[in-house]
Amino acid sequence: MTRRRLLVVLGLGVLVTAALAGLLRSAGPAGRADPVAEVAAGLRCPACQGESLAESRSPIAASMRQVIADQVAQGREPEQIHRWFVQRYGDEVLAQPPTRGPGLLLWVVPAVALLGGGLAAARTLRPGRREAAGPTVPHGRPRSSRIVWWLTAAGLVALVATVAVAADRLTPPATRPPPADPAVVSLRLAQDLEGQQRYGAAAQLYREALTARPDDDAIRLRLAFALLRAADAPGAERSAREVLGHTPDSPDGLLVLGLAQRTTRPAEAPVTLRRFLAVAPGHPAATEIRRLLGS
Amino acid sequence: MAPATILLLTLGVGVVLAAGERPGPGVAHRPRAAPALAGTTLPGQRYDLAAARGHVVLVNVFASWCGPCRDELPLLVGTGRRWAPQGLQVVGLNLRDGPDAVRALLAEARAEDLTVVPDPEGVRAVEWGVRGVPETFVVDRDGRIVAHQPGVVTAKWLEQHLAPLLGTP
Amino acid sequence: MLADLGTASLAAGLLTAPLAALLWLRVALAGPAARPARLASAAALLAAATAVVALETALLTHDFSVRFVAENGGRHVPVYYTVTSLWSAMDGSLLLWLLVLAAYAALLARGRPDRLRAYAMVVVSVVTTFFFALSVFAANPFRAVTPAPADGPGPNPLLQQHPAMGVHPPLLYAGYLGTVVPFALALAAPLAGPAGRRWLRVARPWALVSWCTLTAGIVLGAWWSYAVLGWGGYWAWDPVENASLLPWLTTTAFLHTTLGGGRGRERWNSVLACAGFLLVLLGTFLTRSGAVASVHAFTDSPLGPLLLGFVLLAVLTATVLTGRPRTAPAPAPASPLRSRGTAVLGNAALLLTIAATVLTGTVLPLLAEPVTGSRAAVGAGYYHRTAVPLAVLVLLLAGVTPALRVRGRAEALRRLVLPGAAGLATVACVGLSSRPGTAALTGFGAAAFVLAGLATARPLLRPAVLGHAGLALLALGVAASTAYGRAEERTLRVGETLRVSDVSVRLVSVQRSAPAGRMAVRARLAVSSAGTTRTAVPALRYDPARETAVTVPAIDGGVRRDVYLTLLAVSADSGTATVRLAVNPLVGVIWAGGAVATAGGVLALARAVRRHRHRRPEPAGARTAVAAGAPA
Repeated sequence: MTRRRLLVVLGLGVLVTAALAGLLRSAGPAGRADPVAEVAAGLRCPACQGESLAESRSPIAASMRQVIADQVAQGREPEQIHRWFVQRYGDEVLAQPPTRGPGLLLWVVPAVALLGGGLAAARTLRPGRREAAGPTVPHGRPRSSRIVWWLTAAGLVALVATVAVAADRLTPPATRPPPADPAVVSLRLAQDLEGQQRYGAAAQLYREALTARPDDDAIRLRLAFALLRAADAPGAERSAREVLGHTPDSPDGLLVLGLAQRTTRPAEAPVTLRRFLAVAPGHPAATEIRRLLGS
Repeated sequence: MAPATILLLTLGVGVVLAAGERPGPGVAHRPRAAPALAGTTLPGQRYDLAAARGHVVLVNVFASWCGPCRDELPLLVGTGRRWAPQGLQVVGLNLRDGPDAVRALLAEARAEDLTVVPDPEGVRAVEWGVRGVPETFVVDRDGRIVAHQPGVVTAKWLEQHLAPLLGTP
Repeated sequence: MLADLGTASLAAGLLTAPLAALLWLRVALAGPAARPARLASAAALLAAATAVVALETALLTHDFSVRFVAENGGRHVPVYYTVTSLWSAMDGSLLLWLLVLAAYAALLARGRPDRLRAYAMVVVSVVTTFFFALSVFAANPFRAVTPAPADGPGPNPLLQQHPAMGVHPPLLYAGYLGTVVPFALALAAPLAGPAGRRWLRVARPWALVSWCTLTAGIVLGAWWSYAVLGWGGYWAWDPVENASLLPWLTTTAFLHTTLGGGRGRERWNSVLACAGFLLVLLGTFLTRSGAVASVHAFTDSPLGPLLLGFVLLAVLTATVLTGRPRTAPAPAPASPLRSRGTAVLGNAALLLTIAATVLTGTVLPLLAEPVTGSRAAVGAGYYHRTAVPLAVLVLLLAGVTPALRVRGRAEALRRLVLPGAAGLATVACVGLSSRPGTAALTGFGAAAFVLAGLATARPLLRPAVLGHAGLALLALGVAASTAYGRAEERTLRVGETLRVSDVSVRLVSVQRSAPAGRMAVRARLAVSSAGTTRTAVPALRYDPARETAVTVPAIDGGVRRDVYLTLLAVSADSGTATVRLAVNPLVGVIWAGGAVATAGGVLALARAVRRHRHRRPEPAGARTAVAAGAPA
């Protein structure tokens, strides 16, 4: 019996030692191999909610990681790098709030809660002197219960009235934007696509926007420009002519038409472009067109 | 814990929370020296903010992939043209973007003459403490940042922060 | 038409809920028949249900003259997500909230109408009144829009991606509002005289309902965020997640302190019962008022100050009613150190500390703002240093439970030798063969300790066994996936390969499509590991109506690990794609753990209900009361 017990104790001792060794080994450094990621994990992405720099995908976070990588390469310490960021972004860039000011609460409250909870538990387990059992609340006297009832009724009315009045006062005056207009959305998308130089797709979206607002020549002009850049000169010419049908002297309309005609009917192009120069000599594109015509 | 303590605590926290509910006044910024901003502009010229002492400089951090930036660009360019005689420079710091996309954006906004310093890695913007795009800084004639607007600027904001520096009514 | 019906039913609710409160108060004070009061409660439920049905009908019939539909409906939205869009935004979700609350009230009204129940019904009815008033005056979804738009933007695209959207919020609401019943009973007990002594026995099944739904709801939410948000994680210590965790912690503690009739722990029981609902209210204030920004938080609204006021009112009432010393029943004898009493109180103290920690981390940005001028959220690192070690302690305490059911110290120690050896061996083996970090390592050890202890438990199908096993599995999955998860992100050309541990991914092609302006880009990837090759297609979707891009991850789930692929960006010529490849081990174990724990709760509930049915007339003896809880 004692021998068995000895074996058990011995075995447990070995296990405890091994477990401690494992813990120590695991607690050591080299948890994270990448020093940049380590520094980044201690900083917060300023453009996101509650994400660290290490995990955020926002462009500015990528830039900040780049800065960290540069500084690490220069041999700066993580502490120094953190300070560099605090100088530019303030304390809030630190993932760990500083332990001063309100940040102190983060550590004080749990400690107090643990202490208080522990003391309360101990008192419950070993009750010294119990509070003397007080008398039950007197109850059910008809007079007082009627008063209680009326008081409650008044309280309920007050509650509802408070909500009604406060809600009215606090409601921000019609701040909601009008529901999205599909044409506006298509336009915004098309502009994004143009920015990515995907003119064919952009033209498609401009067409969609035009179905919603067939009278908008500004959209039609954009369509014409997009078609021109997508190398669809006949389409561009058609759209430009539609614009010119409404406003015969539209400089942009003439410009697109002229440029499109350089592909479709080269003979007429110079005429149209000269008309463009006559209508809008100060247009930003005018110098370029003069150069074209001159050559 | 005594009921009274709980009551006091919750009331205190409640008061603070209620105070926090109200939007506080904007955080006042003490003027600080503007970080360096130098580089090769889009057309290949040299630009250095340090050489712009004596000018009021409006630094706008933007990117062609950011919708609000595209929207505010005409306003900034217009402001630049209007107040150039009084000594205003507008500089675009172009964050993580491609030159083609920026040129297309500038052409679209008719702003080919805007001074744009590319920042393909965003390192310069981080030096300035930029949190996102768009973001705009006003640098006074002594090279100090006197105003800073994260997000889109309005004509009123520009007027309010630029007019005193430029001495325009 | 529907708008009028909706507003009218909300108004009817605003009338019947206070009426119910007053009728129940009359029952409590004077003791007449409870039938009219029950009818009033049922009428409030009917009003809430009618409002919900009216709004759902408006959503399904695309009645864009109703404000909520104009802002959150859309003709392009599939039917399922049209139904769920009721709770995809503030005002509609308040209706669901009301429906659940009124349903709890109507259910609680069904029991024996003694003074305890009557007072509790007064409390629940007052709460219902407040939320009806909120819905009518501050967040009426039925207000008319003129002119009615032809189409709406649809709900947030993130909320249209995963079927869990139909289950997760209703479950969470059921869990949140389930806490109102123990709260009401705790407030009613000191008023109800002798009948008040029974409050714990009545409250416990309700707390179990709340606990089960909360557990399932939280785990489902984690699963949803894992499968939808595309960052590869399941828990971010986001304010809304924290807000759901807080009542779960106190309810868990309550379920333990009420074991064995909860004798000797009267103060703990009433504090924990109140804390659950108060934290639900506080969480609602924090997350729904725009006070704390979060992934889930709905936009700014006038609800903030009103909710805050109500939270303060509730705290005040709870403190006044339960705070004063009450007629104590026979004082319990001091319990020996090794007893269920000690374990239960230690557990409660730890859980309360975790709750206080999480609450501080969540509220601090608000408290700090007036001082520091910034409203920066507290990062996950804080919780890893505070809440996680405490949770490991809770787990260790759960592992001790098998030793509490036996007589004699030697026997108890013997029971702990095997599990203890298993836990230590796990720590030793894992710690010496890899470096998962202290938190994960202790988590593994504690989980092994608990599971080894439960393996010998007979019978196995007991609520406590299931609950603790579920918790241990959950800890195991969390520790493994955080410690051994690997991820890499790279821009690949078509044909190039990215490798993480033993998984390699080759970019096959990039496809674009733009049906009706809704752009989508998909990357076709060949995933090979252990000799097999599969295809995964993560996507990026652009929602024009809300101008947001949404990543749709592709998850190849397995027992041992998940291969988690996200498409981050695509070049303009579709020649390259930026892909994030993550290999997350044992994530499936987390969901399994959640399911097992929930099953434990359901089992406890089923037993409690059955016993309630059998033994309703007679007062419960000590034996019944002991068996009433999950023996811990």
